[in-house]
Amino acid sequence: MNLREKMQRRLKLSWPSLRARARPPKKRSPLGVQFTAANLPTVLALPCCNDCGHVQYPPTELCGHCLGDALAYRSVPTEGTVLATTRLHHSLSEYFKRRLTQTPWIMGSIKLDAGPVVLAHIADDELQAGDRVNVFSHTDASQQAVLIATAHSTDTSTAALRRDIVSAMALDVPAPKDGGL
Amino acid sequence: MKGYEGIVLTCPVSLGYAKQSPHGASWFVGSVLRELIHTAGIDKQQVDGFAVSSFSLGIDSAVSLTQHFGIRPRWIEQANMGGVSGIVALRRAARAVQCGEAAIVACIGGDGAAHRSFEATAANFSSWSVDAAFPYGAGGPNAAFSLITQHYMDKFGARRDDFARIALDQRYNANHYPQALLGPKRLSINDYMDARPIAGPLHLFDCVMPCAGGEGFLVMHEDRAKQLDLPYCHIRASDELHNSYADDPVQYRSGWIEYMPALYERANVGPENIDILQTYDDYPVISMMQMEDLGFCNKGEGPSFVQNTDMRFDKSGRAANKLPHNTCGGQLSCGQAGSAAGYLGITETIRQLTKRAGRNQVADARHGLVSGYGMVNYDRGLCSAAVLLSGAGV
Repeated sequence: MNLREKMQRRLKLSWPSLRARARPPKKRSPLGVQFTAANLPTVLALPCCNDCGHVQYPPTELCGHCLGDALAYRSVPTEGTVLATTRLHHSLSEYFKRRLTQTPWIMGSIKLDAGPVVLAHIADDELQAGDRVNVFSHTDASQQAVLIATAHSTDTSTAALRRDIVSAMALDVPAPKDGGL
Repeated sequence: MKGYEGIVLTCPVSLGYAKQSPHGASWFVGSVLRELIHTAGIDKQQVDGFAVSSFSLGIDSAVSLTQHFGIRPRWIEQANMGGVSGIVALRRAARAVQCGEAAIVACIGGDGAAHRSFEATAANFSSWSVDAAFPYGAGGPNAAFSLITQHYMDKFGARRDDFARIALDQRYNANHYPQALLGPKRLSINDYMDARPIAGPLHLFDCVMPCAGGEGFLVMHEDRAKQLDLPYCHIRASDELHNSYADDPVQYRSGWIEYMPALYERANVGPENIDILQTYDDYPVISMMQMEDLGFCNKGEGPSFVQNTDMRFDKSGRAANKLPHNTCGGQLSCGQAGSAAGYLGITETIRQLTKRAGRNQVADARHGLVSGYGMVNYDRGLCSAAVLLSGAGV
Protein backbone atom coordinates (compact mmCIF):
# COMPACT_ATOMS: atom_id res chain seq x y z
CA MET A 1 0.00 0.00 0.00
CA ASN A 2 1.58 3.31 -1.04
CA LEU A 3 1.12 6.51 0.90
CA ARG A 4 -1.71 7.79 -1.29
CA GLU A 5 -3.71 4.59 -0.92
CA LYS A 6 -2.98 4.56 2.76
CA MET A 7 -4.30 8.10 3.20
CA GLN A 8 -7.39 7.34 1.13
CA ARG A 9 -8.09 4.31 3.24
CA ARG A 10 -7.59 6.26 6.43
CA LEU A 11 -10.00 8.93 5.17
CA LYS A 12 -12.55 6.29 4.31
CA LEU A 13 -12.32 4.69 7.74
CA SER A 14 -12.67 8.01 9.48
CA TRP A 15 -15.55 9.20 7.30
CA PRO A 16 -17.79 11.39 9.42
CA SER A 17 -21.37 10.39 10.01
CA LEU A 18 -23.74 11.45 7.24
CA ARG A 19 -26.79 11.34 9.48
CA ALA A 20 -28.86 14.50 8.99
CA ARG A 21 -29.88 14.52 12.66
CA ALA A 22 -27.76 13.04 15.41
CA ARG A 23 -29.26 12.39 18.83
CA PRO A 24 -27.65 11.88 22.23
CA PRO A 25 -26.95 8.31 23.42
CA LYS A 26 -30.34 6.60 23.67
CA LYS A 27 -29.28 3.28 25.08
CA ARG A 28 -30.28 2.54 28.68
CA SER A 29 -30.52 -0.60 30.78
CA PRO A 30 -34.05 -1.63 31.82
CA LEU A 31 -33.38 0.20 35.11
CA GLY A 32 -32.40 3.32 33.18
CA VAL A 33 -35.69 3.15 31.27
CA GLN A 34 -37.51 2.98 34.62
CA PHE A 35 -35.56 6.04 35.72
CA THR A 36 -36.77 7.93 32.68
CA ALA A 37 -40.38 6.88 33.28
CA ALA A 38 -40.26 7.78 36.98
CA ASN A 39 -38.82 11.21 36.24
CA LEU A 40 -41.43 12.26 33.66
CA PRO A 41 -43.90 13.71 36.20
CA THR A 42 -41.42 15.19 38.66
CA VAL A 43 -38.33 17.36 39.04
CA LEU A 44 -35.99 14.73 40.40
CA ALA A 45 -36.95 11.21 41.49
CA LEU A 46 -34.47 8.57 42.63
CA PRO A 47 -34.96 5.02 43.92
CA CYS A 48 -35.20 5.15 47.73
CA CYS A 49 -35.06 2.15 50.06
CA ASN A 50 -38.27 1.63 52.04
CA ASP A 51 -36.34 -0.20 54.75
CA CYS A 52 -33.31 1.99 55.45
CA GLY A 53 -34.05 5.16 53.46
CA HIS A 54 -30.81 4.97 51.43
CA VAL A 55 -31.07 6.90 48.13
CA GLN A 56 -29.65 5.06 45.10
CA TYR A 57 -27.99 6.43 42.00
CA PRO A 58 -27.31 5.15 39.37
CA PRO A 59 -30.59 3.18 39.49
CA THR A 60 -30.26 -0.28 41.01
CA GLU A 61 -32.52 -3.22 41.77
CA LEU A 62 -31.35 -3.68 45.33
CA CYS A 63 -30.48 -1.15 48.01
CA GLY A 64 -26.73 -0.55 47.92
CA HIS A 65 -26.71 -0.16 51.70
CA CYS A 66 -28.94 -2.89 53.17
CA LEU A 67 -29.44 -5.06 50.03
CA GLY A 68 -33.21 -4.87 50.53
CA ASP A 69 -35.40 -4.98 47.43
CA ALA A 70 -38.11 -2.60 48.63
CA LEU A 71 -37.09 0.33 46.42
CA ALA A 72 -39.49 3.02 45.27
CA TYR A 73 -38.96 6.15 43.22
CA ARG A 74 -39.51 9.23 45.38
CA SER A 75 -38.93 12.92 44.84
CA VAL A 76 -35.67 13.95 46.48
CA PRO A 77 -34.25 17.43 47.24
CA THR A 78 -32.57 18.93 44.18
CA GLU A 79 -29.80 20.73 46.03
CA GLY A 80 -26.22 19.59 45.74
CA THR A 81 -22.59 20.71 45.62
CA VAL A 82 -20.33 20.59 42.59
CA LEU A 83 -17.40 18.18 43.05
CA ALA A 84 -15.69 18.78 39.70
CA THR A 85 -16.57 20.03 36.25
CA THR A 86 -14.95 19.35 32.91
CA ARG A 87 -15.06 20.82 29.44
CA LEU A 88 -15.21 18.07 26.84
CA HIS A 89 -13.35 18.85 23.62
CA HIS A 90 -13.76 15.30 22.36
CA SER A 91 -16.65 12.86 22.38
CA LEU A 92 -17.40 9.36 21.13
CA SER A 93 -20.99 10.24 20.20
CA GLU A 94 -21.89 11.94 16.94
CA TYR A 95 -24.41 14.19 18.71
CA PHE A 96 -21.83 15.61 21.09
CA LYS A 97 -19.16 15.73 18.39
CA ARG A 98 -21.41 18.16 16.52
CA ARG A 99 -22.36 20.08 19.66
CA LEU A 100 -18.79 20.70 20.74
CA THR A 101 -17.36 21.92 17.43
CA GLN A 102 -17.87 25.55 18.51
CA THR A 103 -17.61 25.45 22.30
CA PRO A 104 -16.67 22.55 24.58
CA TRP A 105 -19.47 20.57 26.20
CA ILE A 106 -19.58 20.98 29.97
CA MET A 107 -20.45 18.17 32.37
CA GLY A 108 -19.58 17.50 35.96
CA SER A 109 -20.05 15.47 39.10
CA ILE A 110 -22.32 16.69 41.87
CA LYS A 111 -22.79 15.43 45.42
CA LEU A 112 -26.51 15.60 46.07
CA ASP A 113 -27.64 16.55 49.57
CA ALA A 114 -29.81 13.44 49.29
CA GLY A 115 -26.63 11.32 49.27
CA PRO A 116 -25.47 10.01 45.92
CA VAL A 117 -22.92 11.45 43.51
CA VAL A 118 -24.47 12.16 40.10
CA LEU A 119 -22.96 13.07 36.76
CA ALA A 120 -24.89 15.84 35.01
CA HIS A 121 -24.86 18.27 32.14
CA ILE A 122 -23.82 21.69 33.45
CA ALA A 123 -26.05 24.55 32.30
CA ASP A 124 -23.93 27.46 33.59
CA ASP A 125 -20.38 27.57 32.29
CA GLU A 126 -19.13 29.47 35.35
CA LEU A 127 -19.94 26.69 37.81
CA GLN A 128 -16.94 25.18 39.57
CA ALA A 129 -16.07 22.87 42.44
CA GLY A 130 -17.75 23.84 45.72
CA ASP A 131 -20.62 25.79 44.13
CA ARG A 132 -24.15 25.03 45.25
CA VAL A 133 -26.44 23.82 42.48
CA ASN A 134 -29.90 22.54 41.70
CA VAL A 135 -30.08 19.27 39.82
CA PHE A 136 -33.20 18.43 37.86
CA SER A 137 -34.12 15.75 35.35
CA HIS A 138 -35.39 16.47 31.85
CA THR A 139 -36.06 14.55 28.67
CA ASP A 140 -33.40 14.96 25.98
CA ALA A 141 -33.67 14.62 22.21
CA SER A 142 -33.53 10.82 22.55
CA GLN A 143 -36.56 10.86 24.88
CA GLN A 144 -34.47 9.71 27.83
CA ALA A 145 -34.21 11.46 31.18
CA VAL A 146 -30.89 13.18 31.83
CA LEU A 147 -29.78 15.27 34.79
CA ILE A 148 -28.98 18.96 34.45
CA ALA A 149 -27.24 21.12 37.04
CA THR A 150 -27.82 24.87 37.29
CA ALA A 151 -26.52 27.51 39.66
CA HIS A 152 -28.45 27.50 42.93
CA SER A 153 -29.71 31.03 42.21
CA THR A 154 -31.34 29.93 38.93
CA ASP A 155 -35.08 29.49 39.23
CA THR A 156 -36.04 25.93 38.29
CA SER A 157 -39.37 25.83 40.09
CA THR A 158 -41.66 25.34 37.08
CA ALA A 159 -41.57 22.94 34.15
CA ALA A 160 -41.52 25.89 31.73
CA LEU A 161 -38.41 27.36 33.34
CA ARG A 162 -36.65 24.00 33.26
CA ARG A 163 -37.61 23.50 29.63
CA ASP A 164 -36.12 26.91 28.78
CA ILE A 165 -32.81 25.91 30.36
CA VAL A 166 -32.75 22.67 28.37
CA SER A 167 -33.68 24.52 25.17
CA ALA A 168 -30.90 27.02 25.72
CA MET A 169 -28.50 24.06 25.85
CA ALA A 170 -30.18 22.65 22.70
CA LEU A 171 -30.38 19.30 24.48
CA ASP A 172 -33.98 18.77 23.39
CA VAL A 173 -33.28 18.93 19.66
CA PRO A 174 -31.10 16.72 17.44
CA ALA A 175 -27.77 18.05 16.23
CA PRO A 176 -28.07 18.76 12.48
CA LYS A 177 -25.33 17.97 10.01
CA ASP A 178 -23.43 21.13 9.08
CA GLY A 179 -23.24 22.01 5.41
CA GLY A 180 -25.80 19.48 4.22
CA LEU A 181 -25.11 16.08 2.71
CA MET B 1 -1.52 -14.58 54.40
CA LYS B 2 0.40 -17.55 53.08
CA GLY B 3 3.43 -16.71 50.94
CA TYR B 4 4.22 -17.74 47.37
CA GLU B 5 7.51 -19.56 48.07
CA GLY B 6 8.66 -21.75 45.22
CA ILE B 7 6.23 -20.29 42.66
CA VAL B 8 7.87 -18.39 39.79
CA LEU B 9 6.96 -16.32 36.75
CA THR B 10 8.69 -16.95 33.46
CA CYS B 11 8.51 -16.54 29.66
CA PRO B 12 7.18 -12.98 29.31
CA VAL B 13 5.59 -12.43 25.90
CA SER B 14 4.39 -9.16 24.36
CA LEU B 15 3.24 -9.12 20.75
CA GLY B 16 1.06 -7.74 18.03
CA TYR B 17 0.81 -4.09 19.07
CA ALA B 18 -1.09 -2.17 16.37
CA LYS B 19 -3.35 0.89 16.23
CA GLN B 20 -5.92 -1.13 14.34
CA SER B 21 -5.99 -4.80 13.57
CA PRO B 22 -8.06 -7.12 11.40
CA HIS B 23 -7.55 -9.86 14.01
CA GLY B 24 -9.95 -10.69 16.81
CA ALA B 25 -9.15 -11.24 20.47
CA SER B 26 -8.70 -15.00 20.05
CA TRP B 27 -5.89 -14.36 17.55
CA PHE B 28 -4.01 -12.33 20.13
CA VAL B 29 -4.62 -14.77 22.98
CA GLY B 30 -3.72 -17.76 20.80
CA SER B 31 -0.61 -16.11 19.39
CA VAL B 32 0.62 -15.34 22.89
CA LEU B 33 -0.02 -18.99 23.85
CA ARG B 34 1.99 -20.16 20.82
CA GLU B 35 4.89 -17.89 21.78
CA LEU B 36 4.70 -19.04 25.40
CA ILE B 37 5.03 -22.74 24.59
CA HIS B 38 7.65 -21.98 21.95
CA THR B 39 9.71 -19.94 24.43
CA ALA B 40 9.33 -22.53 27.18
CA GLY B 41 10.07 -25.40 24.82
CA ILE B 42 7.08 -27.40 26.02
CA ASP B 43 4.19 -29.15 24.31
CA LYS B 44 0.90 -27.28 24.45
CA GLN B 45 -0.71 -30.13 26.39
CA GLN B 46 1.72 -29.44 29.20
CA VAL B 47 -0.10 -26.16 29.77
CA ASP B 48 -2.74 -27.48 32.16
CA GLY B 49 -3.85 -24.11 33.53
CA PHE B 50 -5.28 -21.32 31.40
CA ALA B 51 -6.10 -17.80 32.63
CA VAL B 52 -7.47 -15.33 30.10
CA SER B 53 -8.39 -11.65 30.19
CA SER B 54 -10.03 -9.91 27.27
CA PHE B 55 -12.71 -7.29 26.67
CA SER B 56 -13.33 -8.20 23.05
CA LEU B 57 -14.01 -11.95 23.15
CA GLY B 58 -17.68 -11.09 22.68
CA ILE B 59 -19.82 -14.19 22.96
CA ASP B 60 -16.75 -16.40 23.44
CA SER B 61 -15.13 -17.15 26.77
CA ALA B 62 -11.94 -18.73 28.08
CA VAL B 63 -13.69 -22.07 27.69
CA SER B 64 -14.43 -21.48 23.99
CA LEU B 65 -10.76 -20.73 23.46
CA THR B 66 -9.70 -24.15 24.77
CA GLN B 67 -11.50 -25.70 21.80
CA HIS B 68 -10.08 -23.10 19.39
CA PHE B 69 -6.56 -23.87 20.52
CA GLY B 70 -6.93 -27.59 21.17
CA ILE B 71 -5.74 -27.44 24.76
CA ARG B 72 -7.03 -29.49 27.68
CA PRO B 73 -6.57 -27.46 30.88
CA ARG B 74 -7.69 -28.85 34.23
CA TRP B 75 -7.75 -25.35 35.71
CA ILE B 76 -9.26 -22.27 34.04
CA GLU B 77 -9.80 -18.66 35.01
CA GLN B 78 -11.29 -15.68 33.24
CA ALA B 79 -10.17 -12.48 34.92
CA ASN B 80 -11.89 -9.62 33.11
CA MET B 81 -10.90 -6.84 35.45
CA GLY B 82 -9.18 -4.44 33.09
CA GLY B 83 -6.18 -2.90 34.78
CA VAL B 84 -5.87 -5.49 37.54
CA SER B 85 -6.57 -8.52 35.36
CA GLY B 86 -2.87 -9.41 35.04
CA ILE B 87 -2.18 -9.31 38.77
CA VAL B 88 -5.44 -11.08 39.58
CA ALA B 89 -4.65 -13.84 37.05
CA LEU B 90 -1.15 -14.12 38.50
CA ARG B 91 -2.46 -14.42 42.06
CA ARG B 92 -5.05 -17.07 41.18
CA ALA B 93 -2.57 -19.00 39.04
CA ALA B 94 0.13 -18.95 41.72
CA ARG B 95 -2.30 -20.43 44.27
CA ALA B 96 -3.41 -23.08 41.76
CA VAL B 97 0.20 -24.16 41.19
CA GLN B 98 0.92 -24.00 44.91
CA CYS B 99 -2.07 -26.25 45.68
CA GLY B 100 -1.25 -28.67 42.88
CA GLU B 101 -4.36 -27.91 40.85
CA ALA B 102 -2.19 -27.11 37.83
CA ALA B 103 1.50 -27.46 37.02
CA ILE B 104 1.98 -24.84 34.32
CA VAL B 105 -0.49 -21.98 34.01
CA ALA B 106 -0.51 -19.68 30.98
CA CYS B 107 -1.79 -16.21 31.96
CA ILE B 108 -2.75 -14.26 28.85
CA GLY B 109 -4.34 -10.90 28.19
CA GLY B 110 -5.21 -9.94 24.65
CA ASP B 111 -7.56 -7.66 22.77
CA GLY B 112 -8.13 -6.74 19.18
CA ALA B 113 -8.80 -3.23 17.91
CA ALA B 114 -11.26 -3.27 15.04
CA HIS B 115 -12.08 0.09 13.47
CA ARG B 116 -14.14 2.12 15.96
CA SER B 117 -14.45 -0.82 18.36
CA PHE B 118 -13.30 1.40 21.22
CA GLU B 119 -16.47 3.47 20.87
CA ALA B 120 -18.58 0.35 21.30
CA THR B 121 -16.58 -0.78 24.35
CA ALA B 122 -16.87 2.64 25.98
CA ALA B 123 -20.60 2.92 25.23
CA ASN B 124 -21.31 -0.51 26.79
CA PHE B 125 -18.73 -0.65 29.55
CA SER B 126 -21.13 -1.29 32.44
CA SER B 127 -24.83 -0.84 33.21
CA TRP B 128 -24.09 2.14 35.47
CA SER B 129 -22.00 3.69 32.78
CA VAL B 130 -24.74 3.13 30.18
CA ASP B 131 -27.42 4.65 32.43
CA ALA B 132 -25.59 7.42 34.21
CA ALA B 133 -22.21 8.28 32.68
CA PHE B 134 -22.10 7.80 28.91
CA PRO B 135 -25.19 9.98 28.14
CA TYR B 136 -23.39 12.97 29.67
CA GLY B 137 -21.18 13.97 26.77
CA ALA B 138 -20.07 10.45 25.82
CA GLY B 139 -16.53 11.32 26.77
CA GLY B 140 -15.75 7.72 27.74
CA PRO B 141 -12.92 7.26 30.24
CA ASN B 142 -11.53 10.71 29.39
CA ALA B 143 -14.56 12.39 31.00
CA ALA B 144 -14.40 10.30 34.19
CA PHE B 145 -10.67 10.83 34.58
CA SER B 146 -10.79 14.53 33.77
CA LEU B 147 -13.08 14.92 36.80
CA ILE B 148 -10.67 12.91 38.95
CA THR B 149 -7.70 14.86 37.60
CA GLN B 150 -9.39 18.24 38.11
CA HIS B 151 -10.31 17.30 41.68
CA TYR B 152 -6.76 16.13 42.40
CA MET B 153 -5.34 19.37 40.99
CA ASP B 154 -7.74 21.44 43.12
CA LYS B 155 -7.08 19.41 46.25
CA PHE B 156 -3.31 19.04 46.11
CA GLY B 157 -2.21 21.87 43.81
CA ALA B 158 -0.89 19.58 41.09
CA ARG B 159 -0.18 21.27 37.76
CA ARG B 160 0.05 20.07 34.20
CA ASP B 161 3.85 20.22 34.24
CA ASP B 162 3.82 17.71 37.12
CA PHE B 163 1.86 15.25 35.00
CA ALA B 164 4.24 16.01 32.16
CA ARG B 165 7.12 14.55 34.19
CA ILE B 166 5.43 11.14 34.11
CA ALA B 167 4.50 11.28 30.43
CA LEU B 168 7.91 12.56 29.29
CA ASP B 169 10.04 10.06 31.21
CA GLN B 170 7.82 7.24 30.03
CA ARG B 171 8.21 8.37 26.45
CA TYR B 172 11.97 8.35 26.92
CA ASN B 173 11.70 4.75 28.10
CA ALA B 174 9.46 3.89 25.15
CA ASN B 175 12.07 5.36 22.78
CA HIS B 176 14.19 2.35 23.84
CA TYR B 177 11.45 -0.30 23.67
CA PRO B 178 10.77 -1.51 20.12
CA GLN B 179 7.15 -2.62 20.61
CA ALA B 180 5.90 0.74 21.91
CA LEU B 181 3.57 2.20 19.28
CA LEU B 182 4.64 5.75 20.12
CA GLY B 183 8.25 4.70 20.77
CA PRO B 184 9.59 6.03 17.45
CA LYS B 185 8.36 9.53 18.38
CA ARG B 186 10.04 11.83 20.85
CA LEU B 187 7.97 13.95 23.22
CA SER B 188 9.15 17.34 24.48
CA ILE B 189 7.67 19.45 27.25
CA ASN B 190 6.42 21.88 24.61
CA ASP B 191 4.72 19.08 22.67
CA TYR B 192 3.05 18.02 25.90
CA MET B 193 1.91 21.46 27.03
CA ASP B 194 0.73 22.55 23.56
CA ALA B 195 -1.15 19.34 22.81
CA ARG B 196 -4.78 19.61 21.82
CA PRO B 197 -7.25 19.65 24.71
CA ILE B 198 -9.38 16.52 25.21
CA ALA B 199 -11.36 16.97 28.42
CA GLY B 200 -10.82 19.59 31.11
CA PRO B 201 -7.19 19.40 32.25
CA LEU B 202 -6.50 16.33 30.09
CA HIS B 203 -4.70 16.96 26.83
CA LEU B 204 -3.65 14.55 24.11
CA PHE B 205 -0.56 13.11 25.82
CA ASP B 206 -2.42 12.47 29.08
CA CYS B 207 -4.61 9.95 27.30
CA VAL B 208 -3.67 6.43 26.30
CA MET B 209 -4.16 5.30 22.74
CA PRO B 210 -6.46 2.28 22.47
CA CYS B 211 -4.75 -0.42 20.42
CA ALA B 212 -4.52 -4.15 19.78
CA GLY B 213 -1.98 -6.39 21.45
CA GLY B 214 -1.31 -9.43 23.58
CA GLU B 215 0.69 -10.06 26.73
CA GLY B 216 1.32 -13.23 28.68
CA PHE B 217 3.57 -15.23 30.97
CA LEU B 218 3.80 -18.66 32.57
CA VAL B 219 3.39 -19.51 36.24
CA MET B 220 5.04 -22.71 37.51
CA HIS B 221 7.12 -24.25 40.30
CA GLU B 222 10.70 -23.09 40.59
CA ASP B 223 11.90 -26.68 40.13
CA ARG B 224 10.02 -26.97 36.85
CA ALA B 225 11.50 -23.70 35.59
CA LYS B 226 15.00 -24.91 36.47
CA GLN B 227 14.31 -28.22 34.77
CA LEU B 228 13.21 -26.38 31.61
CA ASP B 229 16.22 -24.04 31.97
CA LEU B 230 14.02 -20.93 31.94
CA PRO B 231 15.01 -17.61 33.54
CA TYR B 232 12.42 -16.67 36.15
CA CYS B 233 11.53 -14.31 38.96
CA HIS B 234 9.89 -14.85 42.34
CA ILE B 235 6.59 -13.58 43.73
CA ARG B 236 7.47 -11.96 47.07
CA ALA B 237 4.04 -10.71 48.11
CA SER B 238 0.77 -9.59 46.59
CA ASP B 239 -2.64 -8.27 47.53
CA GLU B 240 -5.81 -6.76 46.10
CA LEU B 241 -8.80 -4.76 47.34
CA HIS B 242 -11.87 -3.62 45.46
CA ASN B 243 -14.35 -0.76 45.90
CA SER B 244 -12.34 0.71 48.78
CA TYR B 245 -13.02 4.24 50.06
CA ALA B 246 -16.45 4.16 48.45
CA ASP B 247 -17.48 7.17 50.54
CA ASP B 248 -14.91 9.52 48.99
CA PRO B 249 -17.07 11.72 46.74
CA VAL B 250 -14.23 11.86 44.18
CA GLN B 251 -11.47 9.30 44.05
CA TYR B 252 -8.02 10.43 45.19
CA ARG B 253 -6.82 7.22 46.86
CA SER B 254 -7.50 3.51 46.62
CA GLY B 255 -7.03 0.17 48.34
CA TRP B 256 -3.21 0.10 48.29
CA ILE B 257 -3.12 2.33 51.38
CA GLU B 258 -4.76 -0.43 53.37
CA TYR B 259 -2.60 -3.40 52.42
CA MET B 260 0.76 -2.05 51.29
CA PRO B 261 2.34 -1.78 54.80
CA ALA B 262 1.55 -5.45 55.47
CA LEU B 263 2.62 -6.41 51.94
CA TYR B 264 6.04 -4.78 52.39
CA GLU B 265 6.38 -6.51 55.72
CA ARG B 266 5.58 -9.94 54.25
CA ALA B 267 8.07 -9.30 51.45
CA ASN B 268 10.69 -8.01 53.88
CA VAL B 269 11.27 -5.22 51.37
CA GLY B 270 10.33 -1.54 51.66
CA PRO B 271 9.60 1.15 49.07
CA GLU B 272 13.21 2.30 49.42
CA ASN B 273 14.40 -1.11 48.11
CA ILE B 274 12.25 -1.05 44.97
CA ASP B 275 14.41 -0.81 41.84
CA ILE B 276 11.57 -0.70 39.30
CA LEU B 277 8.02 0.57 39.68
CA GLN B 278 5.34 -0.26 37.13
CA THR B 279 2.08 1.56 37.76
CA TYR B 280 -1.14 1.37 35.80
CA ASP B 281 -0.88 4.59 33.84
CA ASP B 282 -4.18 5.04 32.04
CA TYR B 283 -3.80 8.71 33.00
CA PRO B 284 -0.78 10.34 34.71
CA VAL B 285 -2.84 11.31 37.76
CA ILE B 286 -3.51 7.64 38.41
CA SER B 287 0.21 6.85 38.36
CA MET B 288 0.76 9.72 40.78
CA MET B 289 -1.99 8.39 43.04
CA GLN B 290 -0.31 4.98 43.03
CA MET B 291 3.10 6.44 43.91
CA GLU B 292 1.49 8.00 46.97
CA ASP B 293 -0.61 5.01 47.99
CA LEU B 294 2.22 2.52 47.42
CA GLY B 295 4.29 4.44 49.93
CA PHE B 296 6.85 6.24 47.76
CA CYS B 297 5.65 9.59 49.12
CA ASN B 298 2.88 10.92 51.34
CA LYS B 299 -0.63 11.66 50.10
CA GLY B 300 -0.64 14.93 48.23
CA GLU B 301 3.13 14.94 47.70
CA GLY B 302 2.92 13.19 44.34
CA PRO B 303 3.54 16.40 42.35
CA SER B 304 6.76 17.26 44.21
CA PHE B 305 7.81 13.59 44.19
CA VAL B 306 7.68 13.34 40.40
CA GLN B 307 9.45 16.70 40.06
CA ASN B 308 12.30 15.42 42.24
CA THR B 309 12.45 11.90 40.81
CA ASP B 310 14.10 10.68 37.65
CA MET B 311 11.82 7.97 36.25
CA ARG B 312 13.96 7.03 33.23
CA PHE B 313 15.10 3.41 32.96
CA ASP B 314 18.78 4.40 32.59
CA LYS B 315 18.67 7.02 35.36
CA SER B 316 19.92 9.66 32.90
CA GLY B 317 17.52 12.36 34.05
CA ARG B 318 18.48 15.42 36.04
CA ALA B 319 16.58 14.72 39.26
CA ALA B 320 18.58 13.30 42.16
CA ASN B 321 16.14 10.63 43.32
CA LYS B 322 16.09 7.67 40.92
CA LEU B 323 13.11 5.37 40.40
CA PRO B 324 12.78 3.70 36.98
CA HIS B 325 9.04 3.82 36.33
CA ASN B 326 7.05 2.11 33.57
CA THR B 327 10.30 1.09 31.97
CA CYS B 328 8.82 0.12 28.59
CA GLY B 329 6.87 3.36 28.29
CA GLY B 330 3.68 2.13 29.92
CA GLN B 331 0.36 2.40 28.18
CA LEU B 332 0.84 6.11 27.59
CA SER B 333 3.56 5.29 25.08
CA CYS B 334 2.96 1.61 24.18
CA GLY B 335 -0.80 1.98 23.69
CA GLN B 336 -3.58 0.44 25.77
CA ALA B 337 -4.23 -3.01 24.39
CA GLY B 338 -7.47 -3.59 26.29
CA SER B 339 -7.01 -6.21 29.00
CA ALA B 340 -3.40 -6.82 27.93
CA ALA B 341 -2.63 -3.41 29.43
CA GLY B 342 -3.17 -4.99 32.85
CA TYR B 343 -0.40 -7.51 32.03
CA LEU B 344 2.10 -5.03 30.58
CA GLY B 345 3.71 -4.13 33.91
CA ILE B 346 4.15 -7.80 34.83
CA THR B 347 5.71 -8.97 31.56
CA GLU B 348 8.02 -5.96 31.52
CA THR B 349 9.10 -6.60 35.12
CA ILE B 350 9.82 -10.27 34.40
CA ARG B 351 11.99 -9.17 31.44
CA GLN B 352 13.78 -6.65 33.64
CA LEU B 353 14.39 -8.98 36.59
CA THR B 354 15.63 -11.78 34.33
CA LYS B 355 17.95 -9.29 32.55
CA ARG B 356 16.27 -9.84 29.19
CA ALA B 357 14.76 -6.42 28.60
CA GLY B 358 17.04 -5.38 25.76
CA ARG B 359 17.81 -1.72 25.14
CA ASN B 360 15.65 -0.52 28.04
CA GLN B 361 17.30 -2.83 30.60
CA VAL B 362 17.53 -1.29 34.08
CA ALA B 363 20.97 -2.01 35.53
CA ASP B 364 21.08 -4.09 38.73
CA ALA B 365 17.31 -4.45 39.13
CA ARG B 366 16.49 -6.80 42.00
CA HIS B 367 13.01 -5.88 43.22
CA GLY B 368 10.14 -4.75 41.02
CA LEU B 369 6.75 -3.53 42.18
CA VAL B 370 3.79 -3.80 39.81
CA SER B 371 0.47 -2.23 40.61
CA GLY B 372 -2.85 -2.46 38.88
CA TYR B 373 -5.91 -0.22 38.90
CA GLY B 374 -9.06 -0.45 36.93
CA MET B 375 -12.66 -0.89 35.98
CA VAL B 376 -14.42 2.45 35.87
CA ASN B 377 -17.88 1.13 36.59
CA TYR B 378 -19.31 4.64 37.01
CA ASP B 379 -17.18 7.49 38.32
CA ARG B 380 -13.96 5.79 39.54
CA GLY B 381 -11.71 2.78 39.15
CA LEU B 382 -12.88 0.14 41.60
CA CYS B 383 -9.99 -2.31 41.63
CA SER B 384 -6.54 -2.03 43.15
CA ALA B 385 -3.89 -4.73 43.21
CA ALA B 386 -0.14 -4.97 43.68
CA VAL B 387 2.54 -7.61 43.36
CA LEU B 388 6.16 -7.43 44.44
CA LEU B 389 8.54 -9.48 42.30
CA SER B 390 12.19 -10.31 42.90
CA GLY B 391 14.88 -11.66 40.62
CA ALA B 392 16.16 -15.20 41.09
CA GLY B 393 18.72 -15.49 43.85
CA VAL B 394 17.66 -12.25 45.56
